[in-house]
Amino acid sequence: MKHKVRLKDMAKPAEVLCPLAVTDLDPVPGYEERPFKQVKPEWKEKYDLSLDGFSALALTPPATKEAEEELVNKFLRGLEKLFTKENNWTFMQPTALSTDYCVRCNTCNEACPVYVESGRQDIYRPNYRSELLRKIYQRYFTTEGRLLGSFVGADVELNWRTIYRLAELTYRCTICRRCAATCPVGVDNGLMNRELRKLFSQELGIASEGVHKGGTMRHLQTGSSTGMTPAAFLDTIEFIEDDIEERIGRRIKIPIDKKGADILLIHNAGEFVSWPENPAAFAILLDAAGIDWTLSSESMGYEGVNYGTWYDDFQFARVAVAQVQAAKKLGVRRIVVGECGHATKALVEIADRVCVGDLAIPREGCLPLLEQIVTSGAIKFDPSKNNFPITLHDPCNMVRLMGIVSPQRNVLKAITPPGCFREMPNAGVMNYCCGGGSGFAVMNSMNFPEWRDSVASRMKAKQVLEAFSDCLDPSIPKYYCAPCSNCKGAARDALMEYYGFRDKYNIIYGGLVELMVNAMVDIEKPFVSWEDEF
Amino acid sequence: MGETFSWLIAGPFMYLAVIIFVAVTLKKVVTIASMPRHLRWDLYPIAHEGPAGSVFQKVEFWKQPRAVHLAYELAEMAEEIFLLKRTFLYNRKMWNFSYPMHAGFYLIIGWIGLVKFGALLELIVGLKVSGASTVFWAQALNAATILAGAAGLVLGLFGCLGLLWMRYTDEDLKDFSSPVTFLNLYLLIALFGVGLVAWLVEDPSFVLARGYVASLYVFKPAVLPPIMTFEALLLGIFLIYLPFSRMLHFAAKYFFYHNIMWDDEPLVAGGSLDKTIGGYLHFKAEWSAPHLKSGGSWLEQATTNPAKPKEEGK
Repeated sequence: MKHKVRLKDMAKPAEVLCPLAVTDLDPVPGYEERPFKQVKPEWKEKYDLSLDGFSALALTPPATKEAEEELVNKFLRGLEKLFTKENNWTFMQPTALSTDYCVRCNTCNEACPVYVESGRQDIYRPNYRSELLRKIYQRYFTTEGRLLGSFVGADVELNWRTIYRLAELTYRCTICRRCAATCPVGVDNGLMNRELRKLFSQELGIASEGVHKGGTMRHLQTGSSTGMTPAAFLDTIEFIEDDIEERIGRRIKIPIDKKGADILLIHNAGEFVSWPENPAAFAILLDAAGIDWTLSSESMGYEGVNYGTWYDDFQFARVAVAQVQAAKKLGVRRIVVGECGHATKALVEIADRVCVGDLAIPREGCLPLLEQIVTSGAIKFDPSKNNFPITLHDPCNMVRLMGIVSPQRNVLKAITPPGCFREMPNAGVMNYCCGGGSGFAVMNSMNFPEWRDSVASRMKAKQVLEAFSDCLDPSIPKYYCAPCSNCKGAARDALMEYYGFRDKYNIIYGGLVELMVNAMVDIEKPFVSWEDEF
Repeated sequence: MGETFSWLIAGPFMYLAVIIFVAVTLKKVVTIASMPRHLRWDLYPIAHEGPAGSVFQKVEFWKQPRAVHLAYELAEMAEEIFLLKRTFLYNRKMWNFSYPMHAGFYLIIGWIGLVKFGALLELIVGLKVSGASTVFWAQALNAATILAGAAGLVLGLFGCLGLLWMRYTDEDLKDFSSPVTFLNLYLLIALFGVGLVAWLVEDPSFVLARGYVASLYVFKPAVLPPIMTFEALLLGIFLIYLPFSRMLHFAAKYFFYHNIMWDDEPLVAGGSLDKTIGGYLHFKAEWSAPHLKSGGSWLEQATTNPAKPKEEGK
């Protein structure tokens, strides 16, 4: 059922403005929906769940009129700062243009998987939150808004409900920017969503706990968003060396803190914790290819993530600068970011205009390097070892937002037999987000994961089913290749656990390097295994 | 009285409208262009990179010469401007009306150009642009002017009426359509509609329009018949209003594409971008969340670690 929620309704009292139920959602073929879990009574009492019945932020309503006034005033002060160059040189131009020149054609709506899969609920339109921002900005900061009010659209009341619902709403968008790619004018609702998150974080101190407190702040405190200290990192590397020995029958010494190396490889630290086979595969490949590389044990130097990318310019800058400083300390020639989409985009591209002066050290993503390893002939690959259906997920950050489209495909074509690799619908720059983007994969508070898995990842589930539609029989093992740590997190939580693809269809997920090592002639035992997964 | 009114509208008011349109549009464009250089926020494919695609696909891409093929960028922009490519691909229902409306604008702009050219010919070389002319290209110019004007008015009116119908009947669009959205459409409908009536009733060969433009060139504004006077009034209002409205997206669009989505200029140590950004780092930021340093510059903020344990006694 579609719930009609007008923009003006955001300010109105309602227990839940858009009460989402699984029956609202667009069906996934072969999947039997389970009703959403009941919200705990204590959550209802304590927290604001009045947007859609879910909460990513666990916000407590203001207790007094004064507290509400302070909240409203702070929000307005933050909103004003988005439009001043001193406070927001980083994104002022795109923000101002997206505020002034949207023609309200709604073209962006159908591009958004969250909107479509939710049964086209109004509140999830990509331009819904941007339009709220515009209306509030008009009402309080423009002459025409003050004079003409609702005639020019400045008709949204600003109260704590509007602010809290808007805050929650910013965590219903994966910032995949598929909407921006379809906008005839160039309005970027993904950016506007991030600007709103930024306002909440930088002015009101409101952010997802998984992204801010348990993410960036822990990153800055311990050296890694996972909480892995440099000493723990060294222990993990030893464990990975043992694992490699067990898998391939010989020990590889992973280079750590090698001064003056050609490459400093920076992984998403989640790989060390959740998917150590990925850094292991990198180590095997780089060693076999004879590449001069190293990892860093310096605090921040072994962690590629930058959660500020999703919500806070200052947090972003702090992490990016610290990462590059770690590389400079080692005197490496270049940084290569491992299989992590947002880390690649953050450090290689966005940080390009933060790391000025002597911090402008060369940085690149790993996919071109992997392609070079394949095409150089330094390693012999036997494609027949990857004789199973494989589909490829295009991480938004590396593909639509950086244009890295062909290297991963060239690698797959070289290491798989003909007919095994199949594209999923909308492959390439118009791919759909895995559902874990913008920090969703690390946000696990309250009942948010249920919303994430059921709504944000739903389109990806459909794409995977379509890609494997000719071989869904569980007797055929299948591989969902997602060369991004966040995307793998979403695959684990949504595709494998929520939708049950592993049990039902015998689909496993993993990165690109695992498939490369699996195809290496010199390695006898399969590196990719379905048996381990069951 | 009627003639005086017509002269005031067709003369001083029209000059004023054109001056305001140009001045405000320029001011807005300069304001946008002088906003600070933002962080990179690319969206691919970037047209000027050509068929090779993103430079990030290459190993050690910073060693490659930066690909900026103007022809590809112009081709993509032309598709977007003249065919409304993205609307065609992603919102066909709206394209069915938006395209005729935009085509109407382009044809009317073309018509204005032809009328101005014809007026200049008449003024400078004394050649009469007319269907009865014995000079072939004067005949051709006359035919092209009539065709562009008539087609522009019909298409523009059709497109605007269609868009108005969509805004009234599409429930999803309704909530995103404030009264000013409807005002914009009504103004355009009036502009195209009255223009169409004026053409049919008062000036089927655009002889009066050409003569009127010639009179503006020599600062002796002509008096127009009633419907054309009304059309001049509407045109003047439209020109004054346009740069203050979101219809200025025709100019803003260039910045959206060229300066935001397709701004892939890399930062080179010691280069001008490096210096520009370096200057921004001295801006004082006034955000006040607990993890930020109040009153600190961007550089101080970027090098502050709020999670670092505080030293004892401090």
